[in-house]
Amino acid sequence: MAERAGHRGYIGARPLNGSRTPQHVQNIVIRDYARRKNLHYLLSAAEHTMPGSYMVLEDILDELPQLHGLILYSIFMLPPDEARRRQIYDRVLREGCDLHAAVEEITLSSQKDIQAVEDILLVNKFATIL
Amino acid sequence: MTDTDFLHADEQALAQRFIDDGFVTTPADDRAGLDRIQRRAAELAADYLKLPHSNDPYAMLDTIHTRVSVDDLNGLRLHVFNGLNAEPWFRPTYFRLARSTIETIVGNELCMQRRVNLSIQLPGDSSSLLATHSDVWSGDSPFEVVVWVPLVDVRRTKSMYLLPPSLNGDMQDRMASLRSAEELYKTIKPHATFIEIPYGHVMLFNQTLMHGNRVNEEAGTRWSMNCRFKSIMSPYADKRFGEFFEPILLRPATRVGMQYKLPGGFHG
Repeated sequence: MAERAGHRGYIGARPLNGSRTPQHVQNIVIRDYARRKNLHYLLSAAEHTMPGSYMVLEDILDELPQLHGLILYSIFMLPPDEARRRQIYDRVLREGCDLHAAVEEITLSSQKDIQAVEDILLVNKFATIL
Repeated sequence: MTDTDFLHADEQALAQRFIDDGFVTTPADDRAGLDRIQRRAAELAADYLKLPHSNDPYAMLDTIHTRVSVDDLNGLRLHVFNGLNAEPWFRPTYFRLARSTIETIVGNELCMQRRVNLSIQLPGDSSSLLATHSDVWSGDSPFEVVVWVPLVDVRRTKSMYLLPPSLNGDMQDRMASLRSAEELYKTIKPHATFIEIPYGHVMLFNQTLMHGNRVNEEAGTRWSMNCRFKSIMSPYADKRFGEFFEPILLRPATRVGMQYKLPGGFHG
């Protein structure tokens, strides 16, 4: 088996929860997270600005056999469809990788971590912010 | 030029090539400036690798794969990238490499990306690839152009590919049915053109067109720089004025216009 390279960053061009963060700032947050968690950071890929496109995320998932995992800028970058998210978690874990979210400091490295992530996404869907 | 034309014939021809092909290549306006950039890049690479400075910067860059591993490549790239961008002469020189072409294609009140990017692609290395994309899809404005400058001769997979404007729209229409950028590449592959550019020339291309690179199957290492330019007053997307772009040419009439206030205080 080929040697695995590290953790691929994943940033976006779409607003998250109504807020926009410049892409170079997203990269700084990911790079800092990787440094603190002692992860080898690999240059981020930027998701498309077109609503509903996850083509870049799919490319990273295809790359998983060569990676230790991926670091999302935020957990809220995952697709809104729960079934699709669960496919992503399964794929990450099946490949022996882990998934991180830098802003929320979340690590998903086993099946038992999934519910906590889903709880955050679900609450975020319904809770309002003053 | 006839007395009814606003543009010179050579400007019209250049503009038409850009529209038809999606790119133009021209000899660098400032060849000495390009040589200075190439020499400085080679010096910075030698410093990083703890080697003496070479008298032949082209050979130093083109054969860097014999001196650096894939694992250390990003460290080298960042060292050269930071070193070049720290030079106060670097960005003005980069602009001068293509100034006449930029002014014909974009305009003469310009903003420029704050940092000039650097790509290094070792032969056979799959770690530094850019999947098929248009810059617009990741937050660039469709009003921008990219000035792409190789520091070595580039051809075939040592270069980048671009999809011709005549096919870009049809391919975009198919995108939503595809799963990944790799699938997209397979769809456009028969039509994508790798652009041959000898050292000493620069390319200006339409970044709304799909482009990317593949594993470099040529013998030498690719070194290329890229930087975005746009007309200051044209619309911005996610790559904003100030944080991503900064003004480099603002004309006096625009400064006057931006500061002008109509007389006030009327109560009638």
